[in-house]
Amino acid sequence: MTEKKKHKVFIQGAITPTFIADSIAKHSGKTAIGAHDIFLGQVRNDIIDNKTVAAIEYSAYEEMAENLFHEIREAIFAKYDIVCMHIYHSLGLVKTGEICLFVFVSAKHRKEAFDACRDLVEQIKAMTPIWGKEIFEDETHTWKINN
Amino acid sequence: MKIKILVFGQLSEIINASELALLAINNTDELNKKLFELYPKLNEIKFTMAVNKKNIHENTPLNHEDVVALLPPFSGG
Repeated sequence: MTEKKKHKVFIQGAITPTFIADSIAKHSGKTAIGAHDIFLGQVRNDIIDNKTVAAIEYSAYEEMAENLFHEIREAIFAKYDIVCMHIYHSLGLVKTGEICLFVFVSAKHRKEAFDACRDLVEQIKAMTPIWGKEIFEDETHTWKINN
Repeated sequence: MKIKILVFGQLSEIINASELALLAINNTDELNKKLFELYPKLNEIKFTMAVNKKNIHENTPLNHEDVVALLPPFSGG
């Protein structure tokens, strides 16, 4: 558990497919796992007032967010029978089509993996002090609002 | 008594700073009132406060060197 506490969530820039692949590969030794569920958030080219989003610049109250990620993680472990969980979120600029959120939940069986992963993503969106500034192609911007 | 204020997201554009210091503020209601006096445009956006990294939901006493964060609606993920 101590190792989990020190686990760093924030990554500067986009989360690369290679990073995600490596993360999956690292689980091959954990043979009690029978199901992985992965959620990937990708930056979308929303059109707002006829302007197209080209990138999102993420910022966060990092210290508070790290504490909250820890609390959310503990609550999910207490609620679901899962083996392990990893959360990565981008900071700084992430272009459309690139990955900004990587949530990875592993369990013995699929139901726990699905349920825990969905719950985890919803809690991250609702509770963590992270903000996305949507940068348009013409370099103006607006502030994203989560649904 | 000195309070440190951290400003995030869209609020940092309204206040035009990411950090402020205010003196002689005893609680979060007083701080809120003072902020609206200094920055009337804060009316344009909803925000919540955290004191020393904990969300608050009611008036909260402030002590010397407390850190208050002004948090606009989250948009992570």
